Amino acid sequence: MAIAARWAEDTHSGDSEPRMKPNVKKEDAVERAEPLGSNSEIGRRLKQYYDELVTEEIPDRFADLLKQLEERETGDAARKGE
Amino acid sequence: MAGDTDFKTGLLSAVPSLRAFAVSLSQNSDRADDLVQETLVKAWDKQSSFQPGTNLKAWLFTILRNEFYSQMRKRGREVQDSDGAMTARLAVHPSQHGSMDLGDFKNALERLPEDQREAIILIGASGFSYEEAAEICECAVGTIKSRVSRARTRLQELLKVSGESDYGPDAIAAQVMGSNAA
Repeated sequence: MAIAARWAEDTHSGDSEPRMKPNVKKEDAVERAEPLGSNSEIGRRLKQYYDELVTEEIPDRFADLLKQLEERETGDAARKGE
Repeated sequence: MAGDTDFKTGLLSAVPSLRAFAVSLSQNSDRADDLVQETLVKAWDKQSSFQPGTNLKAWLFTILRNEFYSQMRKRGREVQDSDGAMTARLAVHPSQHGSMDLGDFKNALERLPEDQREAIILIGASGFSYEEAAEICECAVGTIKSRVSRARTRLQELLKVSGESDYGPDAIAAQVMGSNAA
């Protein structure tokens, strides 16, 4: 997915992920790697803020909801089939 | 149906990102969870309009964003007031750690206009491209770029971030952000 590619510079840790192609214009490469600037304090804080939200524990209500939606659909289909 | 199960799995795995985006938009975790719930129900009902193989996360973000703005319009002013009160209660007090802590950052983020906040979140945190963000926000790519630029400048002002030019990102910003001479 594009996300993985875009932040590859961040997480690059000597794995097999290829680095930026050398013939890519520098500013293009920079834009893709880090839209807010690679040393941007704002960029770092923003990701810290967001990552904290993303890693919060997810309430069960969402899994329950999807289960209900699925059951409702199965029920509808069964009734139609009768 | 096997497709249903895949779709359901896709929705469920998008929930953390959807919640993060919803909190960023609404600045209120209860309301954010309601937004996510509404998004999941809408997505389920509109499943046939989703093209498998396209970006499910972007599709869901679009639904959530539309839901957020439609609720804003319905509730009108009353919401702004109650949200303001909620925001104040949720605000993290300036703390002992460091010069700019996460609480300060949240406060600054809250003070951005919604269009700038969502743009900088989508680009700087959610990992969308400018093109994807433009689709989610139903606007031009250039509009997203200028909103991100204004958001970044405003955050720097609010947080009194200085010295970024020492590292060179101002030169990068000029490239990335385009015309933001102000």
